[in-house]
Amino acid sequence: MAAKPETKPVEDTVARVNNEVAVGEDLEFQRKWWRFENAVWVVLTIVLILDLLGAFGRGYLAKAEAHATDGSIRVKYEKIERFKTPSIMTVELGPGAVHDGKVNLWTSENLVTKLGSQRVIPEPLVSVVGNGGTLYTFQAARNPISVEFALEPGGIGLYDLSLGVQGLERLKLKIYVVP
Amino acid sequence: MYTIEHAIAGYFFLLLIVRILSRRAGGQLTLAEFVFVFLIGGIVILATVGDDRSMTNCVCGVITVALLHRLISGLKARFPGFGAVVDGTPLVLLKNGQWQLESMHKAHVDDQDVMAAARGKGLRRLDEIKYAVLERNGSISIIKTGG
Repeated sequence: MAAKPETKPVEDTVARVNNEVAVGEDLEFQRKWWRFENAVWVVLTIVLILDLLGAFGRGYLAKAEAHATDGSIRVKYEKIERFKTPSIMTVELGPGAVHDGKVNLWTSENLVTKLGSQRVIPEPLVSVVGNGGTLYTFQAARNPISVEFALEPGGIGLYDLSLGVQGLERLKLKIYVVP
Repeated sequence: MYTIEHAIAGYFFLLLIVRILSRRAGGQLTLAEFVFVFLIGGIVILATVGDDRSMTNCVCGVITVALLHRLISGLKARFPGFGAVVDGTPLVLLKNGQWQLESMHKAHVDDQDVMAAARGKGLRRLDEIKYAVLERNGSISIIKTGG
């Protein structure tokens, strides 16, 4: 035997206007919603202004520079990176960094594992992985020596990055990767 | 996992943006609104699929959005208050020969929009309208005087 279809008597559940047209208007709710809308637009405008300033990366506020007190290394980088977005970190090495015509630059492993270092320009003579990082050896043909790391972060969050010329002062950077 | 998380975030973000825009974005699409809908959809899809363009990823993204849509529809049917938040409530724009200015201004609707809807009902003048209601889907319903 077929089941009886479920039914329900019609009731006057939709609010009327002037007691004659069932519209279901709720002006009080709508006024609250319009206030919420205004608040959301203010927040979205602030987000856009912060983005233009670079608070979420790729702008004035995101750019940073750090250098060692002994002048061996200077780094231009973005302290706010974006997830899966390419950027360049430039490392300038001073005359004090050169020994026997070569420079040994050490970077902590976060440069590769978290910040997604894709390539190094110029190509190092040797790169050795170990001791929590990578040691790159470059030919020092001219001064100052400039090395570029092409980054593309693969994770979201705050990461520590250490780098410096082997045997000299190391820089400790904090880089925040936004989604 | 990445695509599913981003699809969920993208769905709710787009829902918020479309909801806080004037209601016609979901109803009678003008050319400008048509461009807007496709543009924001295209922008969000970039962050949703990322660099994984596999069939598996796309299928999972589509399933996520479909399930979310079904969930939202179910919640709207079960909880009228939730429906009011997601879709809004109808707004009376014209009542017994009086424009309801607060509702018209906030909903970004003018008398031309109401008259356009009235013409669709075969009416020739505004004074032939007793009630004009902006519905939740963005269309304007017309009730004639003496009707």
